[in-house]
Amino acid sequence: MKGNNQADREKMSGLYETYAPMVFRRCQYMLRDESEAQDMMQEVFLRVFDRMDSLDLSQPSSLLWNTATRLCLNRIRDKHRRGLDVDSSELLLTIACADEEDDSFGAQSVLAKLFSKEPESSRTIAVLHFVDGMTLEETAREVNLSVSGVRKRLRGLQAKLKNLEVK
Amino acid sequence: MIPDWKLERYLTGDLPESEMREIREMEATDEIFAGRVKMLREDNRAILKKMPFERLSEKMEARELGSGRGMNGAGNVVSFKFVKIAAAAALVLAVVSVALFSQREIGLAQSANDGAQVMDVAMADAALTGDNAFGEASDTRIKGLNARMEVWKKTGDSAVQLANLSEVREGDEIQLRYAVPEKCFGMLFSLDGNGTLTMHMGDGSQAIALEPGKMTTLPFAYKLDNAPKFEKFFFVTSRDSFDVDASNLDALLKNKNVNAVSVNLRKVEGK
Repeated sequence: MKGNNQADREKMSGLYETYAPMVFRRCQYMLRDESEAQDMMQEVFLRVFDRMDSLDLSQPSSLLWNTATRLCLNRIRDKHRRGLDVDSSELLLTIACADEEDDSFGAQSVLAKLFSKEPESSRTIAVLHFVDGMTLEETAREVNLSVSGVRKRLRGLQAKLKNLEVK
Repeated sequence: MIPDWKLERYLTGDLPESEMREIREMEATDEIFAGRVKMLREDNRAILKKMPFERLSEKMEARELGSGRGMNGAGNVVSFKFVKIAAAAALVLAVVSVALFSQREIGLAQSANDGAQVMDVAMADAALTGDNAFGEASDTRIKGLNARMEVWKKTGDSAVQLANLSEVREGDEIQLRYAVPEKCFGMLFSLDGNGTLTMHMGDGSQAIALEPGKMTTLPFAYKLDNAPKFEKFFFVTSRDSFDVDASNLDALLKNKNVNAVSVNLRKVEGK
């Protein structure tokens, strides 16, 4: 189904040269550990490399930023579940450990999540809005959702996390 | 104050032109802001010097060879293009959809040098899937564990679940979902008409630990390439850890300790 070839490598090289610093800083900000951030940054690009044929690379900055966010959230959550020290802000930790909302949304949402252009997870959306400070409009643009869609996602998460307030 | 995320987009040139212009002007007139940008640009160079692309490239090669770690994602080709398996793959489709393919095609495949092995793979596959001559799907039938796999195809803004022997075309976007009833090990892979085995979920060629629960959607969809005839998806589980030898798929499918679910999609021409 997929053939990683020289063209893919050249594309990856270009992506890396342009976006690796951004991804690394993102990972470092969320994980607060340089070594972990290095590993995670590479993992982000490897994920992209694995799926180059199916990914929409028209907005690589959004794709990489959101992928880094999602993977870092998973790392934070996993460390917390294992009882390991997590050097993250309380807000980030709360979002990272929030349950996803699969059960609370309709079938259409589930279908939308089936594909690679799917809206980002509510946790990622929450980080963009609450942690990064993106407005609802900016968040919506970032994740290819409508503003009302973003608001709905955030409220779904908010119902579980009382300290989040949709702006 | 320009937030970090926007400044990053400024540095990569990914903001709308109006915002790029606005921030360029700020950089030209605001010394403090210009210092912040300069520091980030220096940081960029330092990061790339410390972590050059070559380091990533090595890991990319490792993944391609199926020896990298952390291959719990999809789309990792296990480099598997043996003529024998290509022939076997063609026969898989021939056997499971007799009504759709001529006796002549089957006869040709059976007369191949590796006919016995090819037949083994095909029959094992047919037994696992329970496909019949009329293309009626029993794609979720398995032995033992009641694991489930769903194959979906994107259709416009929606998606449709594909039954066994559904028609698909080059360029179709496919998404896989699975669920297992208890803790076990599992992997998801597909075999196409070129004999290429693509791992969608696994750690290289190793199965990964799976947790029971609701249907899990793989994080990414897959676009079908131009491989002819079919694309067959396998969800293989076992209570014990196991791996797949890409050159001997037959051995895995015949292993009594593993359970397999499969969905076979017919490739038709046209986009």
